[in-house]
Parts: sequence; C-alpha cells; structure tokens
Amino acid sequence: MTRLENLPTLKINSEKALTLHYGGKTYNGVQGDTIATALYANDVRIFGRSLKYHRPRGLYSLDGECSNTLMEVDGIPNVLTENTPAKNGMQIKAQNVLGIDANYDLMGFMDKLSFMMPAGFYYKTMHRPAAVWPMAIKFIRRAAGLGKLSPDFQINGRYDEIYPDTDVCVIGGGPAGMSAAIAAAEFGLRVILVENKPWLGGFFEYRTVKDKNGNPVCMRAASLAEKIEKTSNIRIFKPAAVTGVYNNNHVVGFQRGGEKDFFDRRYFQIRAKSIVTATGCYERPLLFDNNDRPGVMQIGCAHRLARTYGILPGRNAVFSIGHDLGIETAIDLFDLGVTISCVADTRDDGQDPELEKELAKRDIHLLKGWAAVKAVGWKTLKKVVIKPITGSGEHRLECDLLVASAGLTPETGPLTLGHAKLKYDNHTGFFLADRIPEKMHVAGRLIGLNDPLSIEASGNLAGLRAAADCGENDKDGVRQAEKNLASHSGPGRGSKFISFPGTGKKTFVCFDEDATLKNIDQAMEMGFNVPELIKRFTSTGTGPGQGRIPGHNLALYVAHTDESPDKKPKPTKTRPPLVSPLLATYAGGAHDMSKRTPVHEMQKAAGAKMDRVGVKTTAYDSQMAAGGKMERIGVWNRARYFSNDKTSRDEIENVRNNVGMLDASTLGKFRIHGPDALKALQRVYVSDLSKIPEGKIKYSAMCNHDGCIIDDGIIIKKEENDYYFTTSTARAGATVEWIRYHTRYEGWDFHLVNLTDAFGVINLAGPNARKVLEKVTDADVSNEMFPFTGYREYFIQNIPIRAMRLGFVGELSYEFHVPSSYMQSLWEMIEDAGKEYNIMNFGLEAQNTLRMEKGHLIIGSESEQRTTLHDLGLGFLWDRKKTDTIGYFALNQTEKQAGRFKLVGIKMENPGSEPPKDGSPVVTDKIMGYVCTARYSFSLNEPVGMALVDDSLAEKGTKISIFEDGCNGDLKHARIVNMPFYDHDGTRMRM
Amino acid sequence: MSLTLTCPICGERNGYEFRYGGEDKGPMPDSKELTPETWTDYVHNNNSVAGVQKEWWFHRDGCGTWFTLNRDTTTNLEVK
Amino acid sequence: MGECIRRSPVNFTAKPKRTENRGDWEVVLEYDDEKEGPFLIDLSHCPKWDLQDRDISSFTPFSIPIPEEPGGSVFDKGILINRMNKTQASIIHIAGDAADVPEGNSYTDTTDASVCMALTGKNIFYIAEKLSSLNFAGMKKEIPFLLQGRFSHVPCQTVVLERNGFSGTFLFSCSRGYAHDMVHAVFDAGEEFGLKPAGEKAFTGKFMPHH
Repeated sequence: MTRLENLPTLKINSEKALTLHYGGKTYNGVQGDTIATALYANDVRIFGRSLKYHRPRGLYSLDGECSNTLMEVDGIPNVLTENTPAKNGMQIKAQNVLGIDANYDLMGFMDKLSFMMPAGFYYKTMHRPAAVWPMAIKFIRRAAGLGKLSPDFQINGRYDEIYPDTDVCVIGGGPAGMSAAIAAAEFGLRVILVENKPWLGGFFEYRTVKDKNGNPVCMRAASLAEKIEKTSNIRIFKPAAVTGVYNNNHVVGFQRGGEKDFFDRRYFQIRAKSIVTATGCYERPLLFDNNDRPGVMQIGCAHRLARTYGILPGRNAVFSIGHDLGIETAIDLFDLGVTISCVADTRDDGQDPELEKELAKRDIHLLKGWAAVKAVGWKTLKKVVIKPITGSGEHRLECDLLVASAGLTPETGPLTLGHAKLKYDNHTGFFLADRIPEKMHVAGRLIGLNDPLSIEASGNLAGLRAAADCGENDKDGVRQAEKNLASHSGPGRGSKFISFPGTGKKTFVCFDEDATLKNIDQAMEMGFNVPELIKRFTSTGTGPGQGRIPGHNLALYVAHTDESPDKKPKPTKTRPPLVSPLLATYAGGAHDMSKRTPVHEMQKAAGAKMDRVGVKTTAYDSQMAAGGKMERIGVWNRARYFSNDKTSRDEIENVRNNVGMLDASTLGKFRIHGPDALKALQRVYVSDLSKIPEGKIKYSAMCNHDGCIIDDGIIIKKEENDYYFTTSTARAGATVEWIRYHTRYEGWDFHLVNLTDAFGVINLAGPNARKVLEKVTDADVSNEMFPFTGYREYFIQNIPIRAMRLGFVGELSYEFHVPSSYMQSLWEMIEDAGKEYNIMNFGLEAQNTLRMEKGHLIIGSESEQRTTLHDLGLGFLWDRKKTDTIGYFALNQTEKQAGRFKLVGIKMENPGSEPPKDGSPVVTDKIMGYVCTARYSFSLNEPVGMALVDDSLAEKGTKISIFEDGCNGDLKHARIVNMPFYDHDGTRMRM
Repeated sequence: MSLTLTCPICGERNGYEFRYGGEDKGPMPDSKELTPETWTDYVHNNNSVAGVQKEWWFHRDGCGTWFTLNRDTTTNLEVK
Repeated sequence: MGECIRRSPVNFTAKPKRTENRGDWEVVLEYDDEKEGPFLIDLSHCPKWDLQDRDISSFTPFSIPIPEEPGGSVFDKGILINRMNKTQASIIHIAGDAADVPEGNSYTDTTDASVCMALTGKNIFYIAEKLSSLNFAGMKKEIPFLLQGRFSHVPCQTVVLERNGFSGTFLFSCSRGYAHDMVHAVFDAGEEFGLKPAGEKAFTGKFMPHH
C-alpha cells in the first residue's frame, strides 16, 4: 500500500524502508511504523486469535488496550505489536493459532463451541469425574492461552534502572500535561514529564481541527512540545509507561529505549513533591454483536492510522459513534479518500454545529440517535446493521470498516493508585476523581474537558498548583489561571449509551478474556451481581489490557440491569502494574553485591571453590551438603573446598596432623567504648563480663528475649571501658542495631564501631602451627607465654596483629586479626614460612567437620529459632544473677522445661553407612528432632554427627531413627553418644 | 517503595532503608516482677491498632539511629 | 617472603602511569590515557577515623571543628569531616600533610574498614541516580554535605563536594568487602557516560591544586 504523503502529522519516513518476517513471508514497512501498522499497511487484518473461542482479531486500538495484536516478536511472547516500534528484520509469529499465521487457524471451530463455555466455566466444569481433569487440562492448555515462552529463552538487551528525585512529576504529555510542565518549570522547579507515546502531543498531535484561537491543534501540540524540549529543567521520559503510583508521590514505570538510548528498557522510580496527572482518555467501546470483528476499530485508531502512519484504514466505512471526535474523524478520513456511508451517532443532540455543517457539505448522512447493533462477516467485515436507539427500523450497510465508539473513558489508573476516590458523574458519564490526595492534581480530558483551550488552561492551573506544593506559591498566578479556565467551556455532556438491550451472545465486553455480555448476565443470575464479583467469576478485565476494554463498560452495564443491587455505577479496583513490563525490566541492572575477603583472589588462585555465606539457615547447610549450588544468598564469598573432594579429607587430615590456614575474615568484629560500654555488653551477653582478665579471651553468647541463642563469640577487654568482640558471620550486620535496640530507653554513653571489614582473619591451625608462627615473629609464642585462650598484640614486621589462641577446630590454633590492607602480605609471609611443613589451605567444609568432631557448634546449624542456650548445653555460660540481661526471664523459665529438643551426639548403628544428610528428621511415629551436622570422621573412621532431639530421646545409648530425603521409607538408625568425638579432654588445643 | 519515613537525623527516606522495631511499649519491666503473662504481653503481644500507632524504627542503611514515629497503619503513612 | 605492603581492595584494569609510595601503600597518581572524565578514583588508601563521643562538639581533629548539624560536612586543607549523627563523625585525610594524627579513646582508625572512592566530572549525578535513590542532585543543602544511605544496594556514606546541575564531585564509601562489586556496578552504570578510572591526581589536582 502506498502511504499518504505530505500530511503535517505523519510520524513515518516513507523513504526509509524496513522488512519484517511473519508467517513465512516478508513484509515491507517504513521507519516510524509500529509492527502492527507495518503489517496493516500490507493488508494484514487478522493479528491473532482470541483466548477461548479462537475468533479472528484485528487492529482495534493503537495504545495497547487489548490483547488483539499480541504477537511473538524475536522470541518474546505477548508483545503488543500495535505500539511496539518496528525494527528491521524482526521475526514475528502469531499466537494462540494452530497454523502458520493468524489468518488460518485450525482451532477456529472453537467459536462454535462457545455455548459449552459459560461464565465461570473453569470453576464449574470438570470437577467430576476427576480422571477427566488431566486430559481436559492438556486440551485447554493447548487450545486456550496467549504466547508461549521457551523455558531456556534468554532475553537480550540492556535493562537499566533509575531513581530520580524531582519537584513535579507530570504523568501524560498531551496538551494539559505539557501546559502543566511548562507552568511548573517556569519557577525553575525540576520537572519530569512521562509520556507513553514516542512523541509529545497527546490527542492534539494527529488532529488538524482548529482551536478557538484559530490554531490547528496539531500545530499547537508541536509548539508546546518544542517549548518543553527547550526547557532544560524539564526531563522527558518517553515512550514511558507508568505502572504504579504509590504513597508519598512515588511514580513507578519504565521507559522503552530508542536507537540512541543506552538501554532497551529502563525501570524508573520517581519521587516527586507533587504530581500532575493528565492522562487523558481512552475510548469506551460500543457493544454490539460481533463487535470484535477485524475491520471494527476505534475512532482514534482509524484516525491515527491515516494521520500518523499514512495508512487509510479502509475503503468504505460506517461510523457508529457517540462523541464529536467521531464526526471530526469521519470528515477528515473522507477528505483523505475514504468513502463514508453514514455516521450513526448515539446522541440525539449536542453535536458541534460546525462539524454538522462540514458533514453536510460532504453529503455524509448523520443519523442522530442511531447505533450499530451487529457486525456481519468472519475474517473480514462485510456488513453493519444499524438501528435507532428508540423506535424501529434498521439499515444494513456494506462496508469494510466500522469505526465504533460509545464515547470516552478517562484513564484514571494512576489517580486511583495514588488513592484518589472516584465517583460517577452523570453529566460526563465519567468516573471522576471525587477526593484527590494532597499534592496531586488533575488536568485535561481526565476531568471531562473537551475544548482545546480549556484543556490547556486546566494544565496550566494544575502546574501552578503543583509549583505551590513545592514552595513556589504564586497566588495571583493561580487566581489568574482559575479565571482563565472558567472563561472556557467546562466539561462536556457525555453519551451514556453503550449497547442495545437483548444482544449479548457474541457481544464482547472483554476481548482479552473472551467475555460476552451474555457471560455477565449468567454471572449475575448466579448471584455475582456486583462488578468486583463479576470480574473474578468471568475474568472480565483481568487480561493483558489491564481492563481497559471492559473499562467502565462493565460497571455501566451492570448498573443498568434489574439484578444490580446498586443503580450507581461502581468501578472495579485498579491495581498495578497499569501496563505490564517485562520481568527483565524489574530485574534492572541487577547488580549482585557481595563481599570478598582481602585474600579472595589468592584463595581462588589456590583452587578454592567459593560459596556465599552469611545468611545461615539449616536448609542452607543441608542443601550445600547435598551438593546444591547456592548462589546469591549470603553476604560474603568464602572458600568451601580446595579440591573436588566434597569430604575435604586432605584438608582435614592436614590440620589434624600438620598445619593449615583458613581465611576467617568474614567474622563480625566490633569495638565498643565509652563509660557505659560494659553495661551495654552485660545487657546483651548472657555471661558476666565484668571480670575478663587481661590478655585473655572470654567466650559467651547472646540470646533473644525467648532465651534462644542468636549469636556467640569472644570478648576481649582492651582497656577500661574499651572492648573488642566478635560475632558470627551472619550476625555481624545486625549487631549494632541489636545492642542499640536493647539499650534504647537507657541513654547510656557507649559507642560501637563495626570493624568487620577492617580486619582480615587468619586461622593457623594444627600441631605445627607454632613452628610456623615462630618463623615470622620474634615474639614469644610459647605455650607458657601465649597459652590457650590467651590474647596478645604484637607486630609482624610493620603489621599490627591481634592474636588469640582458640580451639574451634580442636588443635593448637592461632587466630590473627590483621588490618585488611595488610592481610595479603601477612598471608604470604605465613604461607612462605609454612612451606617447609607443606602448609595447606583449608576451607569451610573442612572446618565444619573438624569443629563437629569437637562438638563445637555453629549458630544456625546446631540451633534454630526455638533453640535455647540450655538446649545446647551452654547453660554454664549464663550468669543467673544478671537479671536485666536480654533473655533472663525465659532462660529461667526454660532451664528445666521438659519436652524440648536437646543437642546430642550421634553415631550410626551401621558404621559403614553414609552419614545422614544435614536436616534429616529424627522420627518415631512423629518428628522428634533433626540431624544438624553429620559427616564421616576420618579421625574415628566412622560417620558421626550432632542432632537436636526431643529430650525423651536424648539419653546416652538411645536408638533413634532418621528419615532421609529420598530414603523411600528405609530409615537410618543411630545411637546417642557422648560428645566430643575427638580429643575428649582438649589436650590438643592446649599444646 | 510505598513507605517513606522521616529519620530525625537524615530526613525523609525510602522505607527500605529502615528496620522495624515494633510498637513502642516502653522499657522492659523489672525481670523480678514479671510473670509469664506480663512477660508475654511485653515481648510478644501487640495492640495492632487500625490507626495511628507509635513505633520504633532503625535507620539501618543510614545514620544508625533508633527513633520513634507515628504511623497510620490503615494508610501506611507517617503522621507528623 | 612476600613484601610487606598495604593493598587497596580496588583494582582497576587500567595501566598506572605514575605511582607514589606512601607509607606501605603504593598510590596510583595517574593512569594511562586518562583524558576527559567523568572519572572514578580510588581513595581507599586515605587514612580514616571514626570519632564517637557524647561531647563530640568539643573535638577539633586537625584543628577543624566538627560540623554542628548531622548531615553536615567540612572539607578543609585536605581533611574531610562528616557529622553522621548526634555523637558520631567520620574523618578522612584525603590530601596534604597532616602533622597531628587524631589520638584518644574516642577515635578509631577505620582506614581499612571501608572502600572509599570519588566520582568526579560530567553527568556523575546521572550515574548516581542509576545506583541510588539518595537525592544527590536535588538536596537543598550547603555543599559539602553528607548523605548516608543505600548506594548500589549497600549502606554508604556519600559526600557531595561540588555540584553543578548533574555534574560535580562526590565521595562514597562502603564496607571494604563490597569493593569489587561496587566498582563493577559503578562502571556498569557509568558506561553510557564514558566513565573511566583515574589516579588520585584527578581528585587532588582539583581540590588541592597546590598539593
């Protein structure tokens, strides 16, 4: 098809061709086309098949109001081709079609079966016999639905995100929105204007009629747009959809990137001091039999096809409309070369006399008080039947285009999401904002205005009021703008007619869900007689168009029926997203922020398999043990293994017999100082910390109010009122808030410094650890001078070290806390010094087995939410004299409480069996506990573990049964034994 | 996204930056005088009003301050 | 035996052109081919302190009074002091000689606790807007000022040092462990604006021209 040329409103460049591939054919479009307009220009009329009945569906709107033109584009299903820009080489597929393109669909017979699918079909049918269900579901899944996504589909492109702050956010770049933006920007305020089309101008942009000042409105749009683009303090987001408006004026949406943009989609979250919504209107569908036929379209769709894309929508048209825009379009399309049989107008009077004159000039017959009652045709429109709304008679008119529209419906989505309340207005026939929240304003067609000058004036006023919200209160300006608005025409009377009574079997109130007026009637007969219930029972308005086609029609239709308990139309609730974004849009930049220790790269170079740790749950450990690959969970990256051996046998035996090094930098580390530092520590730690000897570490634990253990670590008194303490990796992030929370009423004078990242930690462990250490320091590190549980500070070369002797892995062991920037240097020194002993790295997994053999626990592995200090046998840490310690009361209450899970050691009845997976339940006839950690012990040559079991099973020698995931009822058996399993007297760590 | 809170130190911020600290119930009663019932009331039972309540918030990602504010639980808006 | 040196958690892939040894640090003054900004500059080697005291107003580290209001900053003679809350301030010694290192129980050396970087040049607040909902560009506050909040999802201290529309300079620091991912996120966000790594000179040359 050759395009119309030389129209001032065209947005295409006919010189620049592009090609699209669809249904095995190649189609030519031009630059500026959407996918659907390019296909339409090539006489494609059927774009898809409907959800249930496989009815052919065509171009109906151009703003993505329904699913009619959803197609698969370059592998992405459900792309709204009517407003997606065409790009050269796009591969396009029809959806919900059994065939090569939407023109021939082997499922087309479904329409004949519509009587089998009444309202609530899914809820009511196929409950019995149950055996039918799987088969039926298979058929339904194949027969109904929209696009299909391949499970291994990877989306290309760049997905960006921004979080801009602004003074005023204007939603809608039409004449009202532009006027508002300009008014606010004149005060120097920062303005963001969001427009969903690729250009500014709204419904002015494609129309050549003149406003009362004699300016064609398209020229007016162009001059406003030019001004906006020149104003540096207005940022324009276009084409951009607003998906939601939230409390405190947060406007959320996404922008589609153009060829020059750095992104394909950009998610935005705007914080504005004030919002102007000038979202305008979409059209209210006229309801009649076969109102979904290809060839039936809305006024704006027909008009813009011609004016924006240079495509004549048809050759021979009938208009059935309820608004002056329809008359204006009929005149314009006639002038552009479309034959117009007649214009049926639902209104008896109220038409613009000027427009009537223009119709008469062109000999176009205007039938007042008439409307379409039926469209005839299957794949294309053949005929239209029109009737007078009152009285008798009918005309059957041959045509290939029916421009049909009952009137306008304001786009109230952003308003209602912003908590404005709607109320039906009888004059306009609109749901108008009745109560608008503070710092939110409305303008333009949204409030029922039609006159171009009124629309601009209302935008100007809204912009001034928004400026006042931002502190620029120009009272005179506002008064002037109010006067100006009042001097123009107010809201116009809206036509109320949407449908003849008695139609309905093939009258589609919702295209997306194939819901007809008959379905609505059926629902109401069954008692679902209010719009919110009908919506759910019939799915009306729940499709990809987000309810814009049923829009207010559902509410208006229902209110006029006898069954409706409420004669006042009530809209259904609008929910975000107002427009559906790609999931990739929400993912945005998806920067994965995790922490690395100072020796991360070195550990990797040494062959470490890294894991994320820091959010410790029993599930995490058990899944890791089961060979799971867990990513993006913890805060830190840590080395778990240094070989492919998941038991880490070499690493374990090296620590037991020689010497190993562990990077333990992820430990939480804190300084607390100030006159009340000790009081704060006493509040949160269960032990008495008032007498920590100099040069010694103190091990203790923190509980919550329930007496359940939340953390353990060591505390060192560095000076009077100055302590250094450690927490578990997972707990580090919450330590400051925990201590401040539990002292929030006291106003104590103490200060916390989080030094977690300031220090790297090296754990040097094994019987040869001292020999290695002696090579790098002159300090006396003998057992006498630096005994078990000792704390020392010294230098290794320039490096200040905090050193302590701990026994977590059960061997002679030093822990060095090193300034992070020196960590790698010290690591290399120790590694060099250890070479002659064949020093080796060990990872988390080796540490886990080593400490388990010692019966040492890890919070989160050997404890969960309900585990008290007593349950773990750590009651000895608790100082019962400290009555205002967090957890005191519950520790007192639970000390001798029966029926609790207790921590025990277990050995397998069959020493040859595999250790049970972590987390496996301990069972009798019910769950009686679970395995915390179980591993093969190379020291004992058999599997051992720790479990939390009901105290009735906790006695030494009790036999327990373990249900392992996948065991198929074949339980494992174990026996309760004493802990620790290894070096019972702890002589090795005191060497 | 839908919650904005005013930190007394940092000003208005996105609710995601904060940790909720529960209804303001005042200091913990003296442990020696607690019964299981009064302990449960203090530690676990909440008033859960539909309306304005005074509650604790911690500016976790910001200045690290615990503070109280009034929030209308029906609108999720702060009440100043 | 390995060298006894201090390492920044930041490793730019660019090739250093000029470096300087400072204490045990090797500081990159300039990278090859720096040309025009905007720049990302690593300042992690700069000494930092945490100062906490109930009577914080009475402290004058480096003879500079602590800003009165939380959120206020002062940048004087290469020393940046940020008032974080009622009782806390952070101090960064960015450039220049500093005779008296602050001492006393209220100070904690936090040099290694955080990674500290600067973004400077054109459009840097557009880069910031992609990583944070903190209101860098619109905040009506006297410069320099401190914003504490999320930057690329993690808690950060950010200090705006100069601002001209969406261009200017700001410093940001977060937990040291995040350095690698933070650098990655910032370069990713800054790619469309031509963000490049630069040596310390690109910062000190601007704020301490005589240094």
